Amino acid sequence: MTPAMLARIQFAFTVSFHIIFPTISIGLAMFLAVMEGLWLKTRDAVYLQMYRFWMNIFAMAFGVGVVTGIVLSFEFGLGFARFAQLAGPAIGPMIALEVLTSFFLEAGFLGIMLFGLHRVGPKLHFFATCMVALGTLMSASWILSANSWMQTPAGVTMENGRIVVTNWWQVINNPSWLVRLPHMLSAAYLTACFLVAGVGAWYLLKRRHIAFAQRSIALGMAFASVLIVGQVFIGDILYGTMLKHQPSKMQAAEGFWEKQSQSPAPYYWLIVPDQKEQRNRAAFGIPYLGSIWLTHSLHGRVDGLKNTPREEQPAMGMVFYGFRIMYGIAILMFAVASVSLWLRWKRRLFTTPWFLRLLVVMTPSGIFATLGGWYLAETGRQPWVIFGLLRTIDAVSPVPAKTLLITLVSFICVYAFFMTAFLFFVFRIIRRGPEEAPAHAESSGSLKNAFRTQIMGKAAAATREG
Amino acid sequence: MQLPLLSAGFVALSLTLYVLLDGFDLGVGILLLFQKHEQTRDHMVDSITPTWDGNETWLIMAGVTLLAGFPIAYGILMPALYLPLIVMLLALGLRGVTFEFRAQMKQFRRRWDVVFGIGSTVAAAMQGIVLGALVQGISVHENSFSGEILECFTPFSLLCCGCVLLVYVLLGAAWLQFKGSGRLSSFSRRAARIALSLFVGLFFVTTYVSFKVQAGVATAWHAHYGLLITCSVAMVLATVVFLFATERHSATIALMAGMGMAASGIFGLAALVYPNIVPFRVSLWDASSSHLSQVFLLTGACLVAPVVLAYSLFAYWVFRGKTPQKGWDL
Repeated sequence: MTPAMLARIQFAFTVSFHIIFPTISIGLAMFLAVMEGLWLKTRDAVYLQMYRFWMNIFAMAFGVGVVTGIVLSFEFGLGFARFAQLAGPAIGPMIALEVLTSFFLEAGFLGIMLFGLHRVGPKLHFFATCMVALGTLMSASWILSANSWMQTPAGVTMENGRIVVTNWWQVINNPSWLVRLPHMLSAAYLTACFLVAGVGAWYLLKRRHIAFAQRSIALGMAFASVLIVGQVFIGDILYGTMLKHQPSKMQAAEGFWEKQSQSPAPYYWLIVPDQKEQRNRAAFGIPYLGSIWLTHSLHGRVDGLKNTPREEQPAMGMVFYGFRIMYGIAILMFAVASVSLWLRWKRRLFTTPWFLRLLVVMTPSGIFATLGGWYLAETGRQPWVIFGLLRTIDAVSPVPAKTLLITLVSFICVYAFFMTAFLFFVFRIIRRGPEEAPAHAESSGSLKNAFRTQIMGKAAAATREG
Repeated sequence: MQLPLLSAGFVALSLTLYVLLDGFDLGVGILLLFQKHEQTRDHMVDSITPTWDGNETWLIMAGVTLLAGFPIAYGILMPALYLPLIVMLLALGLRGVTFEFRAQMKQFRRRWDVVFGIGSTVAAAMQGIVLGALVQGISVHENSFSGEILECFTPFSLLCCGCVLLVYVLLGAAWLQFKGSGRLSSFSRRAARIALSLFVGLFFVTTYVSFKVQAGVATAWHAHYGLLITCSVAMVLATVVFLFATERHSATIALMAGMGMAASGIFGLAALVYPNIVPFRVSLWDASSSHLSQVFLLTGACLVAPVVLAYSLFAYWVFRGKTPQKGWDL
């Protein structure tokens, strides 16, 4: 394999692995802030229990997110030195501001959030939780801005083969940023909703921790119902934005090759694309639906990938399936949310076993949908690393293939270990249940110690007595 | 235009803060390998748990500022230092997740502590290799790295590696004296003494060898002898203060002196390298990004960095005093 291919696989692997954890921690940070706020307001012990429980999982997701994120900030140069040299003047300052405004904020207040309750009191502790949530939000804003600039670059000119920024506002507020940012944030919040509701549903099916479980499902599904409507709406706007700025991506995403598709156009769910022959070897879809969804008419035709010159086409398979995974899960989420509203109306939200089982299955759905979306975004931008400005193949570092292969294997081994340990502990925390959460706070510098503290304990006890 | 100089100053500041702060974190990690008593190990980890994340963020800050202010240099250095950096990142990763995972499980804590110690040691060692490679010089051709991927591993970079490990152990021991009590005090004092004596010897050898492997070192001494002599004197003074403070059990002064040693070492290195950003090869001005990028970076840094420093200090203040023997729940 060529060094370029290996460098791309390495980046793809490390960034795909990384994005799982920020998605969880952006979502859970906001969820924790809401829980602690509700607890302070109502003094209802169930909120505190939920805060305690998800805090453990949040802390681990955050930890893995941090250490895999550090890798990325170096990898721009390790694998793609030419990209760093060319794009550094534009994306470098944005990432620097991300570190300054978000990473330090998260790091500074995370310690207080995890270990400091007995040292600062509940109000200031709530403030720390909010600062961590704000940090994750700002971090997402900056990195989405930087990535959106790579998708839809603006505000720069080329001088002597170097990028020179002419207008910072245009670089930051590039044409796709303000659509992609809310899209990613909703994705993270939806991920958290389905995680919370899924764990609640599992407890309810096992008839354990009933109050905790019911509250989790009720809250998770309530937030999810609002968010998924917004998400579909934002997704639709984003579709239009990308169609305008990166037609090649959306052409590949719909799975048609000919400049104009057949009429009426089907909506494909399964294709076997042949990039070389520029055709599908096989394709299955729902008739008419493509015309209806994409052209809003019964017989409209959809643009295919041949509209883009061959040397500027992305590989259709990755783009198409990334999109279908995201979109398919979104439809499922929409259906689940609708059913939850119906069941809530009928007061059967907690007593419908098939729905609870469905929620358990949907627990990690947000993570897969987010990954699918990022595959659509990143593989659809190819063969460019900065759309229209720099090709990925020209961005690669002068590192030999053998070295890249060795480090790729090392990354896979170490990250597999991270994932195994993470999943092991998450399942263990879930199996032990929320009531165990304070009991397994052993004598160490662990995050759980924060909750063996007198203040939270006393406050919770006072709430129960009062 | 002086903006690149200011950006370079910010890179240097971030690196200095990283070495001073994560230096003792890594040092504590290395010392974990030499502590047999499990509760004392818990106590050691507890002393750094609430604040390590912020300390490590200064490394990202330095790397990203280099990307923003000096993209050409970043693009040369990253591939040149590819192997030590990747190994360092993996080691830091293992060490980072261990903070969370070791807390989840009592029965395998011994194994997690070994991972923690080895991760810290390897990360520190790779930083030493990077330092050695930078001083010895990197092959550059037309703004890109043109050497071999393994050329950063030399006898000289191994010497630097030893120096960095010992400085971190020294800082870690000083930190443990500062935060620890009971049996941790005597352990850390002994570690500080051993690390200091080894460091002084190895540092002289390394400095001497640096003149042999890189002609630019002698040139730089001629060009900035005032600065370099000041740094050397500061380092000697800090070493003496560290020695006395350790003997007299003044933990705060010992920690300050240890940090003084590390800081004067870094300033000395900066003086050695100036006005280049890729040492002895590419100057600050040739590697810098365009005017508006510098303006944006520096405006952000001036506005936000003071706030960052303020709440980082606040975080330390929340966890001030001796680390409780039984963790942070007392």
